[in-house]
Amino acid sequence: MSQAAEWAVEALDLVKVYKEGNILAVDRLNLKIGRGEIYALIGANGSGKTTCINILTGILAPTTGVVKVLGMEMPRDRKTISKYVGVAPQEYSVYHDLTVEQNVRFFGRLYGMSNNELERRMEELLQILRLDERRRSVVANLSGGMRRRVSIACALIHNPQLVFFDEATVGIDPVLRAFFWEYFRSLKKQGLTIILTSHVMDEAEKADRIGLIRAGKLIEEGTPKQLKHKHGADTIEEVFIKLSEGKIVDE
Amino acid sequence: MNNNKQQRRSSRFSFSRTYMVARRILQQIRRDRRTLGMMLMMPTIIMLIFGFSLSGEVKNIPILVDNQDTGYTAHPAPNVEISITAGSKIAAALQNDSRVKYNTGSFDKNRASVDNGTYFAVIKIPANFSETIFQRQRGQNKTAEIQIYIDATKPAIRASIQGALQSALQSIQGGSAFKFNEELAFGGAQYTGLDVGIPSVIGFVLTFLVLLISLITITRETISGTLQRLYATPLTALERLVGYAVALLLLSMMLAGVILGIGILVFGAAVKGNLAVLIFAAVLYALTHVLIAVFLSNFAKNELQAVQMAPLIALPSLALSGMLVPVNSLPEFVQPIARLVPLYYGNRVFEGIMLKGYGLLELAPEFLVIGVIAFLSLILALATVKDRINA
Ligand SMILES: Nc1ncnc2c1ncn2[C@@H]1O[C@H](COP(=O)(O)OP(=O)(O)O)[C@@H](O)[C@H]1O
Ligand SMILES: [Mg+2]
Repeated sequence: MSQAAEWAVEALDLVKVYKEGNILAVDRLNLKIGRGEIYALIGANGSGKTTCINILTGILAPTTGVVKVLGMEMPRDRKTISKYVGVAPQEYSVYHDLTVEQNVRFFGRLYGMSNNELERRMEELLQILRLDERRRSVVANLSGGMRRRVSIACALIHNPQLVFFDEATVGIDPVLRAFFWEYFRSLKKQGLTIILTSHVMDEAEKADRIGLIRAGKLIEEGTPKQLKHKHGADTIEEVFIKLSEGKIVDE
Repeated sequence: MNNNKQQRRSSRFSFSRTYMVARRILQQIRRDRRTLGMMLMMPTIIMLIFGFSLSGEVKNIPILVDNQDTGYTAHPAPNVEISITAGSKIAAALQNDSRVKYNTGSFDKNRASVDNGTYFAVIKIPANFSETIFQRQRGQNKTAEIQIYIDATKPAIRASIQGALQSALQSIQGGSAFKFNEELAFGGAQYTGLDVGIPSVIGFVLTFLVLLISLITITRETISGTLQRLYATPLTALERLVGYAVALLLLSMMLAGVILGIGILVFGAAVKGNLAVLIFAAVLYALTHVLIAVFLSNFAKNELQAVQMAPLIALPSLALSGMLVPVNSLPEFVQPIARLVPLYYGNRVFEGIMLKGYGLLELAPEFLVIGVIAFLSLILALATVKDRINA
């Protein structure tokens, strides 16, 4: 582990062409995300956000391009990198027929956590994520919002230095969303780097820095303030519409 | 920079991670009533269906005939010649009988071929056979004897051979008193249709259910989206496969226990050999199919495909394994394919232990083949397993 690496994530000229359908999902994308940043990758459905996340977490090989995560090279060091990285995928991606506790323990043990450490950390996470009362419930019996929190608990159990939340805050009620953002801020204070995606533009206002992605290309990047100022807009949504020049980009 | 050291440490096989995968699968199964029910109900139902329906006439049963009959020519009166060639007539009749596949050779040298399953019976027609028939026709109190060394562990096969012999003897004029000197192979072991059916049913049920449960369990991971999540953890593909195999082996052992229990306790199936060897065989056989399933699961994209794969393999195995028809009775060009079917060896092992009283030594070749299939499946599984999204 290199503490010296200044970037949490560095991606150089990433290109991804899916074999099936020959789809260009990521098009010469460059990213530099600093340690302790909350970075939001914002774009319409199908713009390539999940593809990007999958490449950055090492579970999908880019067609060309170089990826460095926490100063190590992807995909060469992916299993080592994975120890310091957490992922909450777009789908809930937890075991529906296991309880909340069983899910969290399973992932914790995969990261080689000791029993004591694991139980302490799980206790903390279940409290913060308001899951402690449902800890012995089977995930299949939980609401969508709760499942998402279970998924986040599984992503954070091993105290990662970098987490990816793919659309973690989409489709949940506003109270829970506000709570998530509060929680993300507190994680940032502990030094965590957070990379999240969303297709909801106003989500971006709360991030430190935003990357706007369209058809696999990073079309604009900066702090919310910078972007709004540069394009003379009141909201990020307006920025996006101006950048799209009226073209319909969804799907 | 201690990058390399950590790299090495993280890629080292972790028993703890493997154990977690196995434990998690067992936790999931415990909650899955449908799969649990299937593991108990299916063997019972299949055992019942097959246990009672394994009878009927069989064709092309390989036998060996040693016709030593020299024939007999008598001159009861001047210018009268009676020539009897009863042995050749019997041989010719057997040759034309579709129930048996006729071979010739030495009776004494080929008794062992019955013991090892090449022939189901060896038959000797003695040198004085025709002469005895002549003497009997002349009113002497003599009986023509035919010596048979026969595998009586399968009633349907034994009945077919006896039927063919009876018909052959009809072809001799005045088909009077013959004596079959029948000697039973395998220490005289004779079984009911049920006894005979059970070993193959055990093999088949194990094949089918172990494949089914293993394929469903592994494929479920792919569908739930958790597999992609596992790709992004330190868990390696090898650890994941071994974890699956360990959990599924434990489940399969439970399955084998149910099957053997029903066969032996409910149906009172005979176990001539050692029960411990039988259990070992069931576990090895189950493990082989767990590994085959681990390999095949790479090719199932969803649970439905996985469910379809099990009968797709189990049913042709059933037809080719010698369970319904002896492999020797299959068309010539199919026989080499049958030799590639694990159930063929499974049947030989379970029959050998339960009916013939064989032990590890006698069944070493079969065990070896099953072990090799298990090993190859593991190698194939490792060679084809995915450790990230392939798109
Ligand atoms: N496995 C795949 N094979 C082929 N095309 C894919 C695959 N996954 C995604 N795509 C395509 O790549 C593009 C980007 O998809 P994705 O990264 O999921 O976008 P987003 O997460 O922004 O909605 C879309 O056109 C999608 O249809
Ligand atoms: Mg997506």
